[in-house]
Amino acid sequence: MFGYLVGRLIQAMMVVFVMSVIVFVGVYAIGNPIDVMIDPGASQEIRENLIRQYGFDQPLWQQYFTFVGNVFQGDLGRSMVYNIPVTSLVFSRLPATLELVLVSVGIATLIGVPAGMYAGYRPNGIPAKLIMALSVLGFSVPTFWIGMLLIMGFAVNLGWLPSGGRGEVGHVLWFKTSLVTSDGWAHVIMPAVNLSLFKMGLMIRLTRAGMVEAMGTDYVRFARAQGLPDRQIVFGHIMRNISIPLVTVFGLELGSTLAFAVVTETVFNWPGVGKLIIDSILQLDRPVMVSYLVMVVLLFVMINLVVDLIYAQLDPRVRLKGGS
Amino acid sequence: MAKNALCSGIALITLLAAAPAVMAQDLTIGLRAGPDSIDPHWSTLGSQAEALRHVFDTLVDADETLQLQPGLAVSWTPIDDTTWEFKLREGVTFHDGTPFTAEDVKFSIERIPAVTGPMPMTLYTKYVASVEVVDDYTLRITTNGMAPSLPNDFTRLFVVPSETGMEAGNEEFNSGEKAIGTGPYKFVSWQPKGDLVVERNDDYWGDAPAWETVTRREIPDDAARVAALKSGQVDMINYVPATDYLSMQADSSLDTFVSDSIYILNIAPSVKDEEPQPIKVNGQEIDGNPLQDVRVRKALDLAINRDVLVNVVLEGLGTPANQLMPEGFFGYSSDIPAPAHDIDQAKALLTEAGYPDGFEIDFTCTNNRVPGDAVVCEALAQMWSRLGLTVNAQALNGTVFFPAAQREEYTMTMSAWGTLTGEAAYTYGALVHTQDAEKGFGNFNRSGYSNPEFDRIFSEGSQTLDTDARRELYEQASEIAMEIVR
Amino acid sequence: MAHIGNVLVVPSAAPAETRVMRLRNFWSDYRRSWVAVGALVVIVALLVASFGAPWLVPQDPYDLGQLDWADAFLQPGQTGSGNYVHLLGTDNAGRDMLSAILYGLRTSFLIGISAGVLALTLGISIGLTAAYFGGRIEALLMRIVDLQLSMPAILLALVMAAVLGQGVPQIILALVVAQYAYFARTTHGAASVERRKDYIEAARSTPLPTWRILFKHLLPNVLPPLIVVATVQVASAISLEATLSFLGVGLPLTEPSLGSLISNGFKYIHAGRSWLSIYPGVFLMITVVAINLVGDQVRTVIDPRNSR
Repeated sequence: MFGYLVGRLIQAMMVVFVMSVIVFVGVYAIGNPIDVMIDPGASQEIRENLIRQYGFDQPLWQQYFTFVGNVFQGDLGRSMVYNIPVTSLVFSRLPATLELVLVSVGIATLIGVPAGMYAGYRPNGIPAKLIMALSVLGFSVPTFWIGMLLIMGFAVNLGWLPSGGRGEVGHVLWFKTSLVTSDGWAHVIMPAVNLSLFKMGLMIRLTRAGMVEAMGTDYVRFARAQGLPDRQIVFGHIMRNISIPLVTVFGLELGSTLAFAVVTETVFNWPGVGKLIIDSILQLDRPVMVSYLVMVVLLFVMINLVVDLIYAQLDPRVRLKGGS
Repeated sequence: MAKNALCSGIALITLLAAAPAVMAQDLTIGLRAGPDSIDPHWSTLGSQAEALRHVFDTLVDADETLQLQPGLAVSWTPIDDTTWEFKLREGVTFHDGTPFTAEDVKFSIERIPAVTGPMPMTLYTKYVASVEVVDDYTLRITTNGMAPSLPNDFTRLFVVPSETGMEAGNEEFNSGEKAIGTGPYKFVSWQPKGDLVVERNDDYWGDAPAWETVTRREIPDDAARVAALKSGQVDMINYVPATDYLSMQADSSLDTFVSDSIYILNIAPSVKDEEPQPIKVNGQEIDGNPLQDVRVRKALDLAINRDVLVNVVLEGLGTPANQLMPEGFFGYSSDIPAPAHDIDQAKALLTEAGYPDGFEIDFTCTNNRVPGDAVVCEALAQMWSRLGLTVNAQALNGTVFFPAAQREEYTMTMSAWGTLTGEAAYTYGALVHTQDAEKGFGNFNRSGYSNPEFDRIFSEGSQTLDTDARRELYEQASEIAMEIVR
Repeated sequence: MAHIGNVLVVPSAAPAETRVMRLRNFWSDYRRSWVAVGALVVIVALLVASFGAPWLVPQDPYDLGQLDWADAFLQPGQTGSGNYVHLLGTDNAGRDMLSAILYGLRTSFLIGISAGVLALTLGISIGLTAAYFGGRIEALLMRIVDLQLSMPAILLALVMAAVLGQGVPQIILALVVAQYAYFARTTHGAASVERRKDYIEAARSTPLPTWRILFKHLLPNVLPPLIVVATVQVASAISLEATLSFLGVGLPLTEPSLGSLISNGFKYIHAGRSWLSIYPGVFLMITVVAINLVGDQVRTVIDPRNSR
């Protein structure tokens, strides 16, 4: 168990290391962030001072070691654009993203699981075929285009929903969230649906596969032969069986949804971390790029870890091995 | 323009659209970009200055064409070649009640080098050698050499109270603790990329501010900003995309306001002996650089149909430009003729220069840096292809374009230039003057253009304190920069 | 397998006869879904239309000399100065949208297929090497692959595209880096199973060169599952490229793929010019869905669990 945790930690560190090296080498190859930001009227002297001040004159490995040294002191650096610590910049925008991700994974599960169960229960019916066709659409049509269609339909033509942005924020306990105001929901619903479609397609297919498999087991055949009503079989037995892999997928997808939020946040102008990373990429704000990746990777690995632990609890056949 | 570059392009237009004023006291504005910080000394970014001037005042004010007006200083005069004296406004108080004095100005100037970031404000204090407080309302500034444009630079000098303290940084300003100015509105709150909220300063020294509270909301996406206006989430937006302008004009629930922008799209052909990206004829790299031939540059200029650019490509939201600064700016010459479009003459010139069948050339532009840059880029390539050229046009993001342009990797570029200070020294010193790191000139002259005649007239202008004489010299410099091609 | 006297018998890829038969079987199984057949027809049609675009459409959208600004923003069905009907309208530069879409589709296909093929090659090499050698090499290579699979592909592609700059080769490289790991994992999984079979063990004990064993004997047997992954990955590469272009780190506007066409059209949705983004989007959707449907059916056909 301990070895497993250490293995996971090492894995996380490796991912963080690789990503940060890519960003450093990449930004170094593109050029100097100062040249992107600097005011045209600045003299050569001012420019060179700045390059020195931000350490861009140093060799790449030295820049990187300075960064790593600071990270070990808990300092991820400051945004070059905003001059505030990147951690507070990222954390100030994380709630908006988490809101969006939770609602969308919720939608995906609430619609995807029942639809998949139905499709697996009567796999040859017309509705099942329709559900499966929709699931193919769900994970093949690019998110951003669906987002645009939603905006065109519901915001521009019908005028029912706002076209973007986050709604009014309310207080619950010590949280600030837009999920407690009606304005907040009006804003979140369209981006959340948009973000959920891919996951929904996935959920439908997984549930259906699990359902088909479970329906074919001896246990179910036997129960049916005994005259147990289908309702009882499905909800009593099968549901419990397929819930284990679903929990896993739910957890894993939480992480990748976080990453995919980049696209939805851009389309809907949602003020989350995804929008932040796009903006910092377009401004070459290296500290923000690196820290965002570090934080998302850590979050991602942590979620995976929790899912693994829950999984091990649910299914005693699974043993946790170090590393993989 | 010049032997150098700049067949010159078009001036862009800033466009605002607003729902008609209601009787409310609250205003919400949707903006393309907001400040990066509430510290007015952090960055020279245009959207930063635009936002913070409501909270802080500048020492010298500027009108719509960026010409000088009294601000916190009521008058300024050169005492000798290297000393300026500023008389300050009396009876002004900061938002916290402390009176405004010369000490505050001195502190603000001296604070800048300590706190400024990658878009450095030191740009505007580079001529300052020392600051002397004569009395509470008189200030003397000694300059490094002659600095006739000092008052222009000070249109960007925001004044904070001397009580701010040198150690205060972005955090203290962003939280509001130190966000204390003399401006028409008081700071309430701000989130990076979010809302900047300000409220009326009842004790403002100038005209009474019109609104009780103003919320400046950042909506960078053009389509989203338009949608926010149409759905009533905001009362007013800036940077209206040209494509939405016509439908807005027709919409009786909206008002639109148009005025000239300070940005001019300019084309910079490399005139170095060896062009960075080879120019080819029939796939063969040619010897020498055709762009060094003034006839070739003139042909490129004549092939541009600015009417089409303005009326079709930008859907009416532009003005044909014939020099690097908009009309009314200090040094703008009204003697430069309007740009002509004559494809036959252009072809004749090209034939005369030895390229009857044109050539193949790379043309690199910025994308989405200013509204319309990418479409104008494409349109120019199209116009030059009518001349027989094969133009490989590319519109790239700033992150790719600027570092590569700085390394002078492009043969011909187009980007927007804004004369932020409203006078010629800023633009010509950086863009047209021969590259000279020692004197700090020509930092953005990446085309290799060098005209001793221009450099001489320009330098003479920058060493002339008399306003009218200087204006005369700068206008002459504008003509030299443009006439060779015209 | 096994030695017969002194002659070593190593079954290479199936003999020609059975290969034809297998193919025939495959086709008769594939045919069972008319949706999948339809999807295949659509893909072939799109491939022909996009690669044949220079001979099919009225205009070369990249030749700026053929464009006329007077034709800007024509609605679908209107006739422009070229005296032909713009079936899908024109864009802000007077470019015929149908032509632009087909040329853009060609770019998208080129990017998706080259990225898919390169990622496949890289993934196969890594997966086979790992499976064949085992031990430390296997552990190291697969650790790297696992590491990468633990990162969302979109993030990796985004970062790569951002640091590589804009252009077709750059975007292909970004997609390859983001996608090869799936192939490596699949190859490795299938090859590990194959490796333990006797014929490979037997081959290893002969002086046959390593690469020969890898490519001649191991590869053909791990290919079927890879083909399934490859179809799906081509679709996702096309979709990912479109997404990157939409986010502004993909192709420049002047070299349009479907993604950059949609992105450009997005600016005009409030001005009642929705055809600029709708039509390229429809083509993108049809392409990606069709490829996925084909991939789905191929999976069903070759997956032994699904054999009926």
